[in-house]
Amino acid sequence: MSRRARDMLLYVARRLVTGLVLALLVTLITFLLLAPSFDAIVGNRLGAGATAESIRAMKTQMGLDRPVLAQYSDWLAHVARGDLGASFFTGERVGHTVGQHLGVTMSIVLVTLLLSVAFSVALGVTAAWRGGVVDRVVQGVSLTGHLVPNLLIAIALVYLLSIRLDLLPATGFTPLTDDPAAWARSIAIPVTALLIASMAGLTAQIRGTMIDELRKDYVRTLRTRGIPTRSIVLRHALRNASGPALTVLSFEFIAMLGGALIIEKVFAIPGFGSYAFDASLQGDVPVIMGITLFAVLLVVVVNLAVDLVNGWLNPKARVL
Amino acid sequence: MSISIGSPRLRRLFASATVAALLLTAACSGGGSDSPDPSQKTTTLSLSIQGAPASFEPTRIDAGQSSYIWRSLYDTLLYIDNEGRLQPSAAQRYEYSADRRTLTLTLRKGMTFSSGAPVNAAAVKATLERIRDTPGPNQANIADVVASVEAPDDLTVVVGLKRPSGSLLWNLAGVNGVIADPATVARGSTATDPVGSGPYTLDKGATVNGSEYTLKKRKEHWNADAYPFETVRVRVMGDRAAVVNALRAGELNAGSVDPTQVEPLKSAGLRISPVKAFTVGNLVLADRAGTSLEPLGDVRVRRAINMSFDRTKLVAAFLKGVGVPSTQLFNPKGQAYDAQLDKAYPFDVAAARKLMAEAGYAQGFSVKMPSFVTTKPFEPVIAQSLAAIGIKVTWEAVPIQRQATTLAAAKYPMYFVIYGLDTDAVLTTLYTVPGTPTNPFKSSDPDLTALIAQANSADDPAGARAAYRGINKFFVDNAWFAPLMDIGVTWVTGKGVKHLGDGSSTAIDIRNFGTAG
Repeated sequence: MSRRARDMLLYVARRLVTGLVLALLVTLITFLLLAPSFDAIVGNRLGAGATAESIRAMKTQMGLDRPVLAQYSDWLAHVARGDLGASFFTGERVGHTVGQHLGVTMSIVLVTLLLSVAFSVALGVTAAWRGGVVDRVVQGVSLTGHLVPNLLIAIALVYLLSIRLDLLPATGFTPLTDDPAAWARSIAIPVTALLIASMAGLTAQIRGTMIDELRKDYVRTLRTRGIPTRSIVLRHALRNASGPALTVLSFEFIAMLGGALIIEKVFAIPGFGSYAFDASLQGDVPVIMGITLFAVLLVVVVNLAVDLVNGWLNPKARVL
Repeated sequence: MSISIGSPRLRRLFASATVAALLLTAACSGGGSDSPDPSQKTTTLSLSIQGAPASFEPTRIDAGQSSYIWRSLYDTLLYIDNEGRLQPSAAQRYEYSADRRTLTLTLRKGMTFSSGAPVNAAAVKATLERIRDTPGPNQANIADVVASVEAPDDLTVVVGLKRPSGSLLWNLAGVNGVIADPATVARGSTATDPVGSGPYTLDKGATVNGSEYTLKKRKEHWNADAYPFETVRVRVMGDRAAVVNALRAGELNAGSVDPTQVEPLKSAGLRISPVKAFTVGNLVLADRAGTSLEPLGDVRVRRAINMSFDRTKLVAAFLKGVGVPSTQLFNPKGQAYDAQLDKAYPFDVAAARKLMAEAGYAQGFSVKMPSFVTTKPFEPVIAQSLAAIGIKVTWEAVPIQRQATTLAAAKYPMYFVIYGLDTDAVLTTLYTVPGTPTNPFKSSDPDLTALIAQANSADDPAGARAAYRGINKFFVDNAWFAPLMDIGVTWVTGKGVKHLGDGSSTAIDIRNFGTAG
């Protein structure tokens, strides 16, 4: 193994360990925030007839009357063995159900990001490169995408494509593994609604940084050497402009994950956001903890991936 | 490391993006929604509910919208029909002893669980005892009343009671009356995939727990003819706009919507069935002894509060007419309801202020009330109405999941809640059992206790009616509560499906829906 590869592995390992420490802290804080609600959670489980005695008895039965740190340590020990516990209410294994719901949301978010990258690069680069009317049109589209809320776009698309034209389902989700065509139809409107806002931000970012890059001295030098414009734009300028765009993309990803709830509710999609919302309302502690852990790890992995891709695209941005 | 449009890596990236875009484009132009086949609309009921069921385990099921599912998976001993009448179900006959301390139930012959095991008295005894002995939302109703359960033979269940109860039979038509397979009920899987003897079974392959439940009809069920739908799809949709969209797109053929959403659905040719009274919005004047808020101990103050609300305007403004102005807690279609009592507290601020002054509170007083997500829309008008007679309200935010424990703790002397308009017997129990969220200050009164005893021991419907009307009159005369309005529900159904019933029963059941020509 070369020294460079070893250093890279060490860097990745360091980042992952930092991520685990972060996950530890966030889950501990979450558990400490939940602890004062244990009485209410048990009362909710017992229903309208709950009395102080029955709440006490149920807390003992569920082990919620033990010291908070002891409970958290137990949870952590189980997590270390790959066991995230079971839902207080349905008894389903948390690892399985969180994965199931996360898969639904990820299938929407990843397709949105993929399309967002493809369209934003095409539009942003063209606007920066061509300028003039093309640039003004792209800026106008980008601004409109910024201004119009996702929800409004979703409502308009549902009305047009589902209710008026009967082309796509208005609600629901079909897993990719069940029927790829039905899956594509079920995510078409949610993806489009998310895509417009995502593209608006990313296109503006790429356009701006591309204009900056194209004005730099090295571009002029390359031109004087007779390098084709196409190569200058795509091979040199775009590579240098990719860093800030990737950062915006990682923010978009995290924002989409956090904001998935609204789209999931509007389209009745059983995703991560609505699962987290329902678990919070019920006070389903094992599920809330599992969701928190998954969310933190996901953000850590995405940020790491963005740094690595950034380094791969642009040597100047390499951390090693 | 280099990159260009000509590099294989970037080509692959663009190729992936293009494939995904093409997939979507093809999907967009491919057409075809998931709408049910019109020819199947009369055999498939696609229904929405607002929240996911917590559990199907008999000690944890609830009487809310998840009843559409668990009532289809389990048989209950008795049944409340759409006219609000108690009917036999798994128990073909039921009979009280002369002292009303023993209830004998005779089960139907030949019933089976979906596992194939027979439904017998031992299964009923096991489930009833499990509910009675397991802490949970369904325990109190049974534990307070049932002393013993015996199964002398396969078809006979004898329930010994601690005291006569007017609500027991009604409870046996609900969450307390389910019959679970004793061989499987203790398994963890019961929470999501129970074994019952009901008219449907859960199609696990087409069910996503928490989001969509598909039920398949059991042709061998003893009452299969009463269920016209071969398949029932229950979809969890927390957002009313999603329900409207799904109804318009034909993805649902039954769902409830807000009154403001009705017009476009009506124009789309869907059937609208408003039920004017389904729940009641009720300001509970809980501290009737004035222990934590002295003024509430004076009946004149409680009456003044009742007179401070313009109920007719509230129904028009908030409910768009899908509701009933009412000063009563009981269902307008029930026996306890008395139309005359709705005239007890006309909207009259001047008279209310006079009552406040007579009670010694001419300057009014201040009160803290809990603010739940469900009460938010009503809070400005409640605060404004009470302010008109000098009562200053401060709202304290309380998460909805803490509602039961917060109210039961007697922290708030008065509060606004919305509860279902259940049967007279069940509502009487709900609002009078001390120490619960509906009677946290443990109010009691000898006259009320006598009326409850009369209702519990009444042998004939006329006797029970008189007692429940008496209880209702007691609540209104003594202003134990300030009910503001009965809140309705607007059902929308698609072609081939209709909502049955007029609100006489608020029991939630698949049999609330039938086929239409």
